Amino acid sequence: MIKYIIKIFKSGWTNLKRQGFLTLTTSIVIFIAVVLGTALFLFQGGVSFLTDAIKEKIDVSIYFNEQVSREEILKIREEVVKLEEVNKVSYVSPEEAYENFVKTHQDDPYLESLKAIEINPFLPSLIIQTKEPSQYKVISEFFKREEYSSLVYEVDDYKRGTIIDRISAMSEGIKNIGIALTLFLSFVAITVTLNTLRVSIYSQREEIEIMRLVGAKNSFIRGPFLIQGAMCGLFAAIFCFIVFFLILFLLKTNLEKLFMGFDVFGFYQDNIITILLLQLLIGVGLGLISSFFAVRKYLKD
Amino acid sequence: MIEFKNVKKKYPANSLREEKMALDDVSFGIKQGEFVTLCGRSGAGKTTILKLISCEEKPSSGDVLFENQNICNIKRGETYSVRQKVGFIFQDYKLLPYKTVFENIAYALEAFDFNHEKIDEEVMQLVDLVGLGDKINCLPKELSGGEKQRVSIARALIHRPRVILADEPTGNLDPYHSRDIIKVLLKINEAGSTIVLSTHSKEIVNALKKRVITLEDGRIIRDEEKGRFFL
Repeated sequence: MIKYIIKIFKSGWTNLKRQGFLTLTTSIVIFIAVVLGTALFLFQGGVSFLTDAIKEKIDVSIYFNEQVSREEILKIREEVVKLEEVNKVSYVSPEEAYENFVKTHQDDPYLESLKAIEINPFLPSLIIQTKEPSQYKVISEFFKREEYSSLVYEVDDYKRGTIIDRISAMSEGIKNIGIALTLFLSFVAITVTLNTLRVSIYSQREEIEIMRLVGAKNSFIRGPFLIQGAMCGLFAAIFCFIVFFLILFLLKTNLEKLFMGFDVFGFYQDNIITILLLQLLIGVGLGLISSFFAVRKYLKD
Repeated sequence: MIEFKNVKKKYPANSLREEKMALDDVSFGIKQGEFVTLCGRSGAGKTTILKLISCEEKPSSGDVLFENQNICNIKRGETYSVRQKVGFIFQDYKLLPYKTVFENIAYALEAFDFNHEKIDEEVMQLVDLVGLGDKINCLPKELSGGEKQRVSIARALIHRPRVILADEPTGNLDPYHSRDIIKVLLKINEAGSTIVLSTHSKEIVNALKKRVITLEDGRIIRDEEKGRFFL
């Protein structure tokens, strides 16, 4: 059995070397498919980076009355943290709120007015981030309870509600576009590869016929074609891995600016094993599957 | 060894041709070690007979027996078991273009999972027999028509088949090379192999002085020992 496999492997390798042009064209088509697969993986990485960044920016602010003490607010914080929808809760004192305002409104005329009145108008608050942006309503409902009515000055969800809903819908939309794009490009890649291999194997249909007439079993005929397809896929995957690595490395800074801070090269490095396995899976898998189906047609009695 | 019993073969109509009765109630037998020539005009049914023996086609009705086994009932994917008992020689040689002379001849043995050292030995013997010792590493495109046909013969013989099916083996060759090929076939027959030769060459049929089955429009119109070209 091992000898049989070695024989098939050798035969596939010999065919690969002798049919140089065919090997090249097949490898190029599979390379394009692997590029699409890798690009989609990076795109998905970018989408989750973007949606995470959007989620990070979505929060609900609860402003407490001036007389509510820090200790009381921190006690309430303990209660809020227990809610399963809550991701992060930060306490912002009036002093911190003042400092933040000063930092973010350096050239603002309001800053001068604020300095002029010499009092701190900011109230203590809890900044609450939910696991999903759409869950902000749970927080506002929580603070509408009777026990908090005397403590809470304002729940800042009326103003942000629409924005949060829009951002949630947008992040969901980006995700859906990503999935649709993945499905569409995967379909294109599979169709193109399958058809290229089908055409290349069609040109060898007479050889398959001769092999059958000489008395070769279907597995003996199919084997070298599968090896050829898999090897073309392997070359394409390795080449794609190197090309992406080099391009992302060389364009690191430009890409980071282009993708709103998403470090594509860093992402590629962090997921290097997954990406390499994905490329090998797409390349070798497409080569094997396409060869299998393309040869099958000519092996029917 | 081979027996055709009331065999009919009808090719259904398609966009290019009308329905065609290739063989119409054909019955005959071939004994072990016989040299049988099938002759007739193009479309008479000669190639269909060879295709039925090699399981390339199945009859529309009737039975084809090969060594007492009805090969019409053979399962899909097991036709190789019949083909391993048959050697093929074709008019257009049908050599694998990306394999050398040696690899083309060895292919049949490799397909049958022969011992590798034995393959080398067997191939070298046959290459010498067909006089291609100096072309062993050539690709088919580097050979002349006669040389290609000799490779085809060597490939057909390599696995010591029970029967050799030769479909117009001299069709693409000049008279000199044709005689050469027929001589090789006679030599093989003398060594005990059964030969079924399909041809429409009057010279070859008359020179052979072997059994001749003459076909016309899918029917046997003559079957005689030491026959002559009739049409």
